[in-house]
Amino acid sequence: MVSVLLWGAVALTGGAGSVLRFLVDGAVGAAAEGDFPVGTLAVNVSGAIILGLITGLALGHDQALLAGTAAVGSYTTFSTWMLETQRLTEERRHTTAVLNVLISLTLGIAAAALGRLIGAQL
Amino acid sequence: MSTDCLKLTSYFGERQRCGDAFVADALIELYGQHEIAASILLRGVEGFGLKHHLRTDRSLTLSEDLPLTAIAVDTRPRIEAVLGPTIELNRTGLITLERARLLAGGLPGQQPTELPADLREAAKLTVYLGRQERVGRVPAFVAVCDLMYRRGLDGATALLGVDGTAHGRRERAAFFSRNAEVPMMVIAVGPGTRIGEILPELGTLLPRPLLTLERVRILKRDGRLLAAPDALPAADEDGMALWHKLMVYTSEAVQHEGQPIHRAIVRRLRAAGLSGATTLRGLWGFHGDHPPHGDRLLQLGRHVPVVTIVIDSPDRIAAAFGVIDELTRERGLVTSETIPAMRASSGDRERGGTRLATHHLPGQDPAA
Repeated sequence: MVSVLLWGAVALTGGAGSVLRFLVDGAVGAAAEGDFPVGTLAVNVSGAIILGLITGLALGHDQALLAGTAAVGSYTTFSTWMLETQRLTEERRHTTAVLNVLISLTLGIAAAALGRLIGAQL
Repeated sequence: MSTDCLKLTSYFGERQRCGDAFVADALIELYGQHEIAASILLRGVEGFGLKHHLRTDRSLTLSEDLPLTAIAVDTRPRIEAVLGPTIELNRTGLITLERARLLAGGLPGQQPTELPADLREAAKLTVYLGRQERVGRVPAFVAVCDLMYRRGLDGATALLGVDGTAHGRRERAAFFSRNAEVPMMVIAVGPGTRIGEILPELGTLLPRPLLTLERVRILKRDGRLLAAPDALPAADEDGMALWHKLMVYTSEAVQHEGQPIHRAIVRRLRAAGLSGATTLRGLWGFHGDHPPHGDRLLQLGRHVPVVTIVIDSPDRIAAAFGVIDELTRERGLVTSETIPAMRASSGDRERGGTRLATHHLPGQDPAA
């Protein structure tokens, strides 16, 4: 049975994950000049590596819940990726919008695979 | 019918704080306490100031700190009473003071209004409305824009406020509320004679009109160059610095090399080292001969009007106009205004002040 303590830890780790995303996305986004939403891409790809790594490590149930679902789950963002893609179409930057979907998917899957590979080696 | 008044405008950042309050909240709170006749807080979509830090809504995370514009209009003594506290609150931003005429309450009967001499060539009319205000079945801002389009004004843009005062009463937007009285504004530009003609009509449309008139020069309309910005001296006869303001009315749908014109303008002016620019996104409006437009229910790209405001010294505005002229080759309405007092501050650097300059263009009535 999952204890109250564990759920409390999930809430705290989840909160920390979203704060970290805000910081990373903000720093990368502010440093980048172009119109491509690189902040969200950086967050999602780095999150995919870490989640792959955690899966590769084959942790116990509670650790996997904390590290995977709580930390990485709140760190990465699907909704922002979608919203920013939609906003690119609003500004009629259709090529950038399609690239945003394709690059995120390709790099994301590759990052998850790489993370698993590294995790399995450890 | 009209009262000479001052318009106090503050440009700053959304996350900017003063003590433990946000500057935006503190400013409108101040205007509410002083029962300022008309004030409005507008959230911009992109902009930069003296430090050249770009605030933009381009990414969701960066949208946490958008450029804000707070406008307050009232009689001179009442604006002077809030000027000191406004400067205290907005320590790292831009403040401008402009002369305007305020028309509140009843408008003159059915006769077209003869505007004062300095407004006859062209004037900027700002109508303050409530968010849910209606004229018959249509929203008031749509009715007002339609009237302005039918009467052949050069452009009108409806902008949504998030906070402000109307007839001295604070009206702030809240998440769970109809927000019926939260202020919004329609900024229109056109020949003074036509604006004089629609004033009585506005009086019949709106139960409690609240509007301002300002002097303006129309520089470009739909790609056609009508005038260059006035060749202003850097200072007036008493040595008080003069400043210039350009306003560029375009639409999200109008592009320059694959990006909306307003984004290109802000990028290019920032790269050119201008002191500041702010873009506000409208809700509904028109410029030139294009009928009023806004977003549609099913759309891919946006169609709302946008306004970009650029303020700097006359010589740098002349340079900025070169850039804007090139970017608005086919579409866009460009106007210029003289700003008699501007104060920009970035914490360690300061420009200008808040004493009003008195410059009169050649041939202009000094009493106006």
